[in-house]
Amino acid sequence: MGAELGIYKSCVSARSTDKEILKASQDGGIVTQLFGFALDEGIIEGAIVAVSKDFYKKYPEKCMACYADDTKEPFRPIPAIITTKAELMESRGTKYNISPNVSLIKEATRSFGLDKVGIVGTPCQMQAIRKGQLYPIGLRDVGDKIALAVGIFCMENFPYQSILQLVEDHAAMSMDSVRKMEIGKGKFWVYGKRGQVVQLPLKVTHKYEQPGCHVCLDYVANLGDISTGSVGSPDGWSTVFVRSKIGDSVWGKAMAAGCFETQPIEKVKPGLELVSKLANEKISKNKKTLEERATFGVGKALRNPYI
Amino acid sequence: MAPQKPADVAAKVETTKKEVKPVVDKITVGHVHMSGCTGCLVSLADNYGGLLTILDKYADLVYGLTLADVRHIQKMDVALVEGSVCINDKLSVQEIKETREKAAVVVAVGGCACYGNITRFGRGGQQNQPAHESYLPIGDLIKVDVYIPGCAPTPQQIRNVCVMAYLLLKGTKEQKDLATAYLKPLMMAAQRGTTACFCDLMTEVINQGLCMGCGSCAAACPVRAITHEYGKPQGQRDLCIKCGACYNQCPRSWFSFDVVSSYEAINEAIMAALQ
Amino acid sequence: MSKVVEISPTTRHEGHSKLVLKVNDEGIIETGNWCSITPVRGVEKLAIGKTMEQVPKIASRVCGICPIAHTLAGIESMEASVKCEIPKDAKLLRVVLQCANRLHSHALHNILTLPDMYLPGTDTKINPFTQEEPVRSVAKRIQRLREIGQTIGEIAGGEAVHPSNPRVGGMFRPCSQQAKVKMLDLAKEGLVLAHAQMDFMIAVLRNFQKRDWAEVGGAKIAIPKNLGYHDQGYLATHPIYGSTSMDENPTWDYSRFKESRPWDWYMGEMEVSLEDPKYPVGGTTKMGTKVNPQMEACTGIPCYDGAPVEVGPRARLVKFSNFNEKGTIGQQIARQLEYPASLTSIISALDEYNPAGKVIADYIPQGDGSMGWAANEAPRGTDVHLARVKDGRVLWYNMLVPTTWNFATCSKALEGAPWQLAEIVVRGYDPCVSCATHMIVIDEDKRLVAQKLIQ
Ligand SMILES: Cc1cc2nc3c(=O)[nH]c(=O)nc-3n(C[C@H](O)[C@H](O)[C@H](O)COP(=O)(O)OP(=O)(O)OC[C@H]3O[C@@H](n4cnc5c(N)ncnc54)[C@H](O)[C@@H]3O)c2cc1C
Ligand code: SF4
Ligand code: SF4
Ligand code: SF4
Ligand code: SF4
Repeated sequence: MGAELGIYKSCVSARSTDKEILKASQDGGIVTQLFGFALDEGIIEGAIVAVSKDFYKKYPEKCMACYADDTKEPFRPIPAIITTKAELMESRGTKYNISPNVSLIKEATRSFGLDKVGIVGTPCQMQAIRKGQLYPIGLRDVGDKIALAVGIFCMENFPYQSILQLVEDHAAMSMDSVRKMEIGKGKFWVYGKRGQVVQLPLKVTHKYEQPGCHVCLDYVANLGDISTGSVGSPDGWSTVFVRSKIGDSVWGKAMAAGCFETQPIEKVKPGLELVSKLANEKISKNKKTLEERATFGVGKALRNPYI
Repeated sequence: MAPQKPADVAAKVETTKKEVKPVVDKITVGHVHMSGCTGCLVSLADNYGGLLTILDKYADLVYGLTLADVRHIQKMDVALVEGSVCINDKLSVQEIKETREKAAVVVAVGGCACYGNITRFGRGGQQNQPAHESYLPIGDLIKVDVYIPGCAPTPQQIRNVCVMAYLLLKGTKEQKDLATAYLKPLMMAAQRGTTACFCDLMTEVINQGLCMGCGSCAAACPVRAITHEYGKPQGQRDLCIKCGACYNQCPRSWFSFDVVSSYEAINEAIMAALQ
Repeated sequence: MSKVVEISPTTRHEGHSKLVLKVNDEGIIETGNWCSITPVRGVEKLAIGKTMEQVPKIASRVCGICPIAHTLAGIESMEASVKCEIPKDAKLLRVVLQCANRLHSHALHNILTLPDMYLPGTDTKINPFTQEEPVRSVAKRIQRLREIGQTIGEIAGGEAVHPSNPRVGGMFRPCSQQAKVKMLDLAKEGLVLAHAQMDFMIAVLRNFQKRDWAEVGGAKIAIPKNLGYHDQGYLATHPIYGSTSMDENPTWDYSRFKESRPWDWYMGEMEVSLEDPKYPVGGTTKMGTKVNPQMEACTGIPCYDGAPVEVGPRARLVKFSNFNEKGTIGQQIARQLEYPASLTSIISALDEYNPAGKVIADYIPQGDGSMGWAANEAPRGTDVHLARVKDGRVLWYNMLVPTTWNFATCSKALEGAPWQLAEIVVRGYDPCVSCATHMIVIDEDKRLVAQKLIQ
């Protein structure tokens, strides 16, 4: 296990001690618990998360502005800035399609008046944030206001239409009746509100992936202050990497406050080995894509963003 | 033209440096105002206390009509050029050439100097100089070493470049390496070309299959021309002012793992320098 | 016999300008021509055919020191043309923005003007960047005041330099309760600092007024008691904000405005016949150089009731607060007196502001081509934008910006001053030169008036 897991200070398997959070969180409720704690403690004044249509209907002024009619579609994430715990609770759970959370990072410090901002996002979004802190081309006065960036593991993401086709065509369920979606144990799972469970092999989902994900070289959010995902830990638990000084400090305080129960990562199954294996698979597959892009045309390459 | 390696610039800066001020341990910086709005300079000044620290410790402002009394372009280590060049105005053309001759490192500060920005829309015909119609980003007339795009560019980005330029000139070997690595993408941006607008996201990121919907472009845009529809950027090209912020902020336009992975240490070093 | 001296370019203000001065044997200015030599970016012409949303964003980029004035005047001229009323809370946010910009701009101007002044009780000129006290504390206070202004502007306006939040019909986003409290807090801190800064500046300015001489390029130059006096009128539309053609009682009248070309106003071709290599820094223009302000000037001469007028802080105080001090120092004092009001106005606007209120009009008409104008009291004076919008597109656009008004008035105010002090007079106006290069109104019948005026 090496570079594929990034630099980290500690790694555990954990879950929130708050039963309410766990009710609707994706895995161990790490993200929601961290933001809830940070809000209580004044570590952050608000956080950028992905909400759903119900939230949007209640508080449109807290959401990202867009033209597409967000009011209609279930499981379509809408980036929003939450400042209370009640609002935070509405953001629990993974929406497997694109949520441009970074689009609100400047607005949070402007009309929302936040000096300490939390943000959750995929590894690529953590990259965007760190690039923005080091090279703030269009992000004036934002960098030092990012008080807690929580990264979530990510193998790939999907356009909304892909999710729709997977659920409605392949899983033969209506989007409105879905309670939860999940990718794990090599399958794409759809859980219905009436209790039905459909699993699709990942072979089916591949063709629906977002193409931009195929050049992505980060699985476990190497640049988050803290990063978390389900892989490596038992069901209902999450694997947590504590990475930066900020992350270390927040995690330490949250542990002291009893926010999480933890198990040593070495003791749980399937453990870090699986995380490492999947990370390596993703990185080597996508490195290969980058190589192929270099000779994609005839005497013409596709762009490589990495320098 | 062969891409210039950062090391060349470092070498060049060193030689010039020796000629100019062999004893004082500061670099010399000038602000050259072409056809810009002074917003870039305001941004530099918006480092507030940090500006005073930079001037105390690292840089002597040897030219800059708005802030200093020096009337004519001086020899300097770093020229921060704001604004594009009206090629129908002799004085402007002369000044930009003189800037290149007298400065070891030329930094294009802001969308106007890098990409033309709103002056790209110029088409002349206005009193009292109806012939002033052709505006070019400085890179179309002289070789530019470093780009700081954006309108206005941010105080922090200007600050970072100033601190890195200082390290490049005055630092230890390690600091020089760091500064070189940090400045490299901004040097490559200068080599890439003199146009950028929302279309660059389309042609260089989305069309190339690289966009992953992070939202940085929308956050960066200073005129709110970008929204995200179903996760992907939608640009109102009728609103875009051609500043190049979105493209350069996008992590899929350019991204250096080496530098960005050390974000904590680099940010700390910059903040420490300003104490 | 009169001689011609040229100072080019002038320094410590925004943009590129120069002074061409006809002086008598004592070096006293007989005719002063202050003109812009900033290339004309032609914003008014390039606006034609563009959308009413984009043009104010471009207009903002005319000037980075008072971008808020240009944004607001631009947007409000579009709103006046299409006849769109904006919600009250949007208007309040615009007032906050307006005042935040004035605070930062006046503070920045302090930095530019202090090097002409002396530390009271000494013969030491002030270098605002020196690390020595008491100047360093003043510089820090100025920067903090600017930071407060820029931060409030950033919260209400989306960006600290060119605001992104204002749009035709109101604002893109409301400010949250948290944002409101943060701005209030900053404004209250700023108010304390602003009073201190005002007192310091007034002491420095009064001290200059008492002095007999100023040192310029190693020589002691006598300071006339009437430095910068002129007999022109004043124009201001509002103590803080401005006026538009939609107002019930607009405070600016388009029919009283006329503009002439510099051809009719400035001096024609001459040769420099006086040179001072010691003039700081770098000396004046070489003897024998041909100069031609008529041809080189980049701006026109706007007149109100047939004559040039002064706009800016003093004009506002003369019109609305019975201020009557003349000359360069009087003008500078007026500017300092505006410090507290820029903060108290932010505080009262925010007290009234409701974060849950609406900030965008329900319906935004697209325009039938009728003319609308909006005047905005920019830090350095009345900024009037005029527009005709049809079907959402701009048919015609015109900007009458503060420094353009002042070019002609200041040229008058130079008369009677020793030429070495000309730049001090110019800086009294807080010039923003690149914004001045955007005039297009050409009025043939008024050429005669202008000709008479310069005789
Ligand atoms: C596209 C995607 C792919 C993923 N792939 C993997 C994987 O391969 N392996 C793995 O271990 N984990 C993966 N995850 C992470 C996993 O699904 C959980 O999000 C993570 O474990 C956090 O769970 P939690 O219970 O701590 O979070 P919760 O407390 O439930 O909070 C989840 C948080 O994620 C945010 N969120 C939801 N959807 C998105 C989105 N689309 N983009 C950004 N933020 C969002 C929510 O706003 C919320 O704040 C993926 C997540 C996403 C969004
Ligand atoms: S795979 Fe990579 S690029 Fe795609 S969403 Fe996940 S982190 Fe982003
Ligand atoms: S880039 Fe923007 S801020 Fe800079 S000069 Fe151009 S318009 Fe002004
Ligand atoms: S879309 Fe916005 S950020 Fe991008 S170039 Fe245009 S104005 Fe600049
Ligand atoms: S910043 Fe780049 S990768 Fe991110 S959404 Fe915009 S175009 Fe896509």
